[in-house]
Amino acid sequence: MTAKKLLEQVRSIVKHQLSIVALACVLWPISTWQVYAQEVPEAQLEDGFRTSVAPFLNVYCCGCHGAEEPEAKLDLAQYSSLAEVRRDHGHWEIVLERLELDDMPPRDVKPRPDETERKAVIEWIQAFRESEAHRNAGDPGPVFARRLSNAEYNYTIRDLTGIDIQPTKTFPVDPANAAGFDNSGESLAMSPALLNKYLGAARQVVEHLVLKPNGIAFAPHPVMADTDRDKYCVRRIVNFYSRQPTDYADYFLAAWRYRHRAALGMSDGMLDDIAEAGGVSPKYLATMWDVLNDGQTAAGPIAKLRGMWDALPSDASEHDRARGGCEAMRDFVMTLRQKLRPKFPNLNIPGSNRGSQTFVLWKNRQYVAQRRNFDPGVFRIRDESLVVSDEDPMDEDLLYPADEHERAEHEQAVARFASVFPDAFYLSERSRDYVTEKEMQFEKGRLLSAGFHSMTGYFRDDRPLYDLILDEASQREIDALWQQLNFVTNAPQRQYSGFLWFERTDSTYLRDERFDFARAENPAAFSDEMVKGLHEMYAAKARTVNAGEREMDAINVYFKEINEQIRWVEQVRIKAEPTHLDAVIAFAERAYRRRLTPIEREETLAFYHSRRDEGVGHEEGIRDTVVSVLMSPFFCYRLDIAGAGSGRRPLTDEELASRLSYFLWASMPDESLLAIARAGRLHQSEVLLSEVQRMLRDDRVRGMAEEFGGNWLDFRRFQEHNAVDRERFPQFTDELREAMFEEPIRFFIDLAQNDRSVLDFIDAGHTFVNATLAEHYGMPSVDGWSRIDNASDYHRGGLLPMSVFLTKNAPGLRTSPVKRGYWVARRILGERIPPPPPGVPELPNDEAKLDLPLRDALAVHRDNINCASCHERFDSLGVAFENFGPVGKLREEDMAGRLVSTTDTFPGGYKGSGVHDLRKYLQTQRRDEYLDSVCRKLLSYALGRTLILPDELLIREMRQNLEAGEHRFGSLIETIVTSPQFLNKRGRDHLVQNDPSL
Amino acid sequence: MSHAETTQFFRVSRRTVLRGAGVAMGLPWLESIPVWGYAPVADGAANPLPKRFAVQFMACGIHPDHWWAKGNGSDMELSKSLTPMEPLKKKMNVVHGLFNKSATDVGIHPGQTGNILSGASLQRGAELRGGISVDQVLANHLRQETMQPSMVLGCEQPTTGYHETNFSMAYSSHISWQNETSPVPMEVYPSLAFDGLFENRGSRSNKSVLDRVKEHAASLSRRASAVDRAKLDEYLTSVREIEKRIERQRADQDKAVDRVRSNGKPLFHMQRPDNGLPEDIREHMRLMSDIIALAFQTDKTRIATLLLCRDISGLFYPFLNVRSAHHSASHSDTSEEWERISRYYCEQFAYLCSRLDAMSEGDCSVLDNSCLLWINNMWSGTNHDSTKVPLLTAGSLGGTLQTGRSLDYLSAGDDNRKLCSLYLSIMDRMGVQLDRFGDAESRLANL
Repeated sequence: MTAKKLLEQVRSIVKHQLSIVALACVLWPISTWQVYAQEVPEAQLEDGFRTSVAPFLNVYCCGCHGAEEPEAKLDLAQYSSLAEVRRDHGHWEIVLERLELDDMPPRDVKPRPDETERKAVIEWIQAFRESEAHRNAGDPGPVFARRLSNAEYNYTIRDLTGIDIQPTKTFPVDPANAAGFDNSGESLAMSPALLNKYLGAARQVVEHLVLKPNGIAFAPHPVMADTDRDKYCVRRIVNFYSRQPTDYADYFLAAWRYRHRAALGMSDGMLDDIAEAGGVSPKYLATMWDVLNDGQTAAGPIAKLRGMWDALPSDASEHDRARGGCEAMRDFVMTLRQKLRPKFPNLNIPGSNRGSQTFVLWKNRQYVAQRRNFDPGVFRIRDESLVVSDEDPMDEDLLYPADEHERAEHEQAVARFASVFPDAFYLSERSRDYVTEKEMQFEKGRLLSAGFHSMTGYFRDDRPLYDLILDEASQREIDALWQQLNFVTNAPQRQYSGFLWFERTDSTYLRDERFDFARAENPAAFSDEMVKGLHEMYAAKARTVNAGEREMDAINVYFKEINEQIRWVEQVRIKAEPTHLDAVIAFAERAYRRRLTPIEREETLAFYHSRRDEGVGHEEGIRDTVVSVLMSPFFCYRLDIAGAGSGRRPLTDEELASRLSYFLWASMPDESLLAIARAGRLHQSEVLLSEVQRMLRDDRVRGMAEEFGGNWLDFRRFQEHNAVDRERFPQFTDELREAMFEEPIRFFIDLAQNDRSVLDFIDAGHTFVNATLAEHYGMPSVDGWSRIDNASDYHRGGLLPMSVFLTKNAPGLRTSPVKRGYWVARRILGERIPPPPPGVPELPNDEAKLDLPLRDALAVHRDNINCASCHERFDSLGVAFENFGPVGKLREEDMAGRLVSTTDTFPGGYKGSGVHDLRKYLQTQRRDEYLDSVCRKLLSYALGRTLILPDELLIREMRQNLEAGEHRFGSLIETIVTSPQFLNKRGRDHLVQNDPSL
Repeated sequence: MSHAETTQFFRVSRRTVLRGAGVAMGLPWLESIPVWGYAPVADGAANPLPKRFAVQFMACGIHPDHWWAKGNGSDMELSKSLTPMEPLKKKMNVVHGLFNKSATDVGIHPGQTGNILSGASLQRGAELRGGISVDQVLANHLRQETMQPSMVLGCEQPTTGYHETNFSMAYSSHISWQNETSPVPMEVYPSLAFDGLFENRGSRSNKSVLDRVKEHAASLSRRASAVDRAKLDEYLTSVREIEKRIERQRADQDKAVDRVRSNGKPLFHMQRPDNGLPEDIREHMRLMSDIIALAFQTDKTRIATLLLCRDISGLFYPFLNVRSAHHSASHSDTSEEWERISRYYCEQFAYLCSRLDAMSEGDCSVLDNSCLLWINNMWSGTNHDSTKVPLLTAGSLGGTLQTGRSLDYLSAGDDNRKLCSLYLSIMDRMGVQLDRFGDAESRLANL
């Protein structure tokens, strides 16, 4: 069979099946399930067909629906046995429906069957269907291979790369299947245009790819330009620094708490515990504790500090006052420390410039070396005979005692002070240091800069932080971040390129012809040989202009270090190549959501090497390989390989992991789920159920809230809702629209994470709002998203009065009881109502232009029998919301200033007003339909297909477990994930033609 | 189909037809006409020839005394530094007095450069922020038409670090910006720029990727059930279709290049440049202009920028007998040395113009269907004066831009002499109508 034919066949099957199942949803459960609940013996059915069904057809139907040009192309003469009915049971679904409605045979046609005859045939068809369901109980059904939906693609990329790029934002909207979900092969198709977009999406993702010395990562922004790579690496280092605890006051306070640990009820508390509780470094806190408490004699600044320390409140309850004292201690340390900073000169030689990299870096290195030392030159020896003027007061803190012995002690104390309290833990910004203070003022925000003029250059200055505060893990982390900076941005070579430029512009040092070989435009200028060559000539010239020893040292260290750094990047880049390949393999395993076979590993590497052979560089080769992983059907399709034969086979643990995660998260499995699957334990039901528990509590359950909840309740695309006239409703801002969308999502997540009752969707008296939505609802303001327990005081609570539904189902300048009621009937109760006939006149879009209140206008149109048959099923449900305006705001009058009424008679004769009564009505009169609908929707979403006959049994099981389990949401999920439908896959030879489900 | 019908068909829908067939054709125009069997449209109202836009950038000013033009048409008199343009003067405009307001009163150099094609105000400090440049707006618009949306080339490596004005030096290195925060990565290696055009790097890489995933799908398909196989077929068919498109595109372009080679008309011969950067800056600049010319001729891209040197450039010119590097030399902008340098940069423009002018296209040349800009970030390097910038245009964009004129906007008032107004006017003529761009909301008068 050709692929094309097959495809057509699948399409026709799907189409066929949709109509059948759709009908089944409406009619089957209500009419029969209590009546028959078992398989009926074959012979009995055969007999029933022969004795009552076949004659019935013959007498009442085949006149029109015979073999010759049958009406509606339905030939009922072709069925002569049970087997033939079974092959074509879809048509029998229609027969059943028309018989139940009693509009076939047509009422004006004779002869008509009597009631007994009609009932007998109806019951036979029902029995037949029930029997079929049992015969194939647990059938996994036709779950087609399919691409990831747009939403799944985005979530999966997010979880795979750690960044939320949302590459499918500009893709066409996915079509939904008959159950209303876009997660099934029935509706998700691939086309060349879409595949081209997939290619673009994959390229977009790899623009974020960063190659690091020890693997690969994804940056939150594209990193194709140098400037973007710089930004990525610099931000990570600066963020690391700003996370470190460096506020002295926090340490003093932690020490104070340690002193009073007994009074604070932590008598067993170790210094480390106190440090952890106070968010400070245990290592540095211990150092600090010693300074404040050890037995060594205290003089000078240490004595002063201890004085302040001793003066801290002795009562452990005086926390705030202690905090104040600690801050005063910090200020003392900081102020004095600034005065003690060592100072260094700017070097220069004739023909060069103070801004030369050689001299700037020399000075930077002096600062680094002396951050824990002090400048002895700032101290003076106390001399009472000196006259001190008011203009030049003596700084008490900078005086040494006159007594020689005391002075030695004092000096020691200053040294200790300077060593424990560095003049800076780290520098995250640096301006040029060789210019005037005034010039420096403007040079803010130069993150990690070396302090050059107009040249690329980063400089690491964090020694005190490293030595005093960081533990070993953090030390490794910051070392790695700096290595990444050099590796990713190629900073050393770019810095050296700047050097070659500067030494000819601001400095004229390299303008002599003999230096012409060293041009940044020449790639060879960065070679070991050329750098060393220039070093030699550069130093030789320096000697001829009588450069001092420090200057010579600065020059020699510069060339040595920059050469080492350039070489380091060069070598590590080569060494890292195999690491990157390993990382790509690991990436592919996560992307494919399973282990790779050895052959697949080989094939992945071979692809990379083939790209290299074609002449592309390492980085581009890696990028192409990652693109190919993302383009592979193993990534962008969901497909479980069918087992042999025609039966079913259990999913492998890895397949099950994917099915589970796409159900609960709309995304790929995480590492811990995959680990359990790899260990072969996921199919054990207690393991499976405990994973379900964990996953439902995870934040990624938002994927289910949006994809299942959003499609079930039809608000998935509300963030693009533009039907509101913002001139008339200026309060409808983008923020409010976003908040409206978020309300049911939050509600759903809370319900799923806390395993609440599914009845809460309707019955709950609580909801979730942020400040914007609280204002819209007339509630007191809140911080962030908050649960409001007394929402019913504001006429909210549960799904029904959420403004997202009220707004979505209102056409602009009026409300629409029709749409709102239809939403309740269809989405909440699962009713199927045919679309209105063509040519129905529209109500005006502005209710101010109506002669009557909307409710009354609708009552008039229900006098028309053609409208009434459908509209009486839902209009009244919508009237209950009339006290909510077009954007869901509570109101008493409509837009024409008329009082609104929410009173009406609901289907079945229940009279009530407002959401309160509607809720009661749904609770007491329609609960079964609501629960049935929730079960069907959730099951269809979970299985990624429309439901088939054998699923009816599972729906019953879900209902039973729901009743037995206090209607917990989790009980539904558990019933589904432990069902044979969920755990199995149909066999390869499952014959489509004889498929009893189709 | 009669001749008249063919012409009509051509006029309304040639592009549409091509696009509908999934092909963005890249044929040099003269050659393509016989292929399609119709004559060029005589009616000037519908000019189907592609329009191109290119920028050459020089930094740090020109010699102010030797940069002027007087009169129009063949009577136009050119100053010393502009003499290289003498043979082409009817096809160019010397535009005096335009400026970029965001590049004034912000301190010297980087703040005067990174926004020259965007008119955006730039942010100081570590985080870059400016605006999308005019070439990239056009490139986004024409994205689907050609193999490459744009070429962004440079003859000097970009740099970062901080200038004393606290602007990042990235602004001094990049005139093309893809959005507010990212410059377009600039290609400085002629060999790679060349490969980008003629080895179809992007499409080759996509082709390899598709080959690989096709195998994945096939191997899956062998193990799948019949229905799943049908779904995989959908995928495979899509992959093959995209592959075919890539193949078609490449074949068409190869054919186009061959035709140019074997044609008796102005022949374009160019060896692939060697890897690495040319030792001689003269060769480097010429190669880059050659590559732009070739790309325009074969319609591989319609948008290009070439940073001849960056701002605060360290290029030096022993062949002009100048010992100072570019930036230092610019600080004596009334010196003879600086005049030689200014004239040398004008030669680069003349070179690109004459290349394009030698390429026939219909009854005109590629130059006639282009708009080339030569622009500098300053008038005077000594004074770092950007209150007016030197600017040349060449090419008439298919007869929509009058040339052979010397235009002076200096006394028109600041609102009427904006660079961004010029960009709006050019974009109009290239089919991109915007209400505003950069700091301008109106078109340049009398252009």
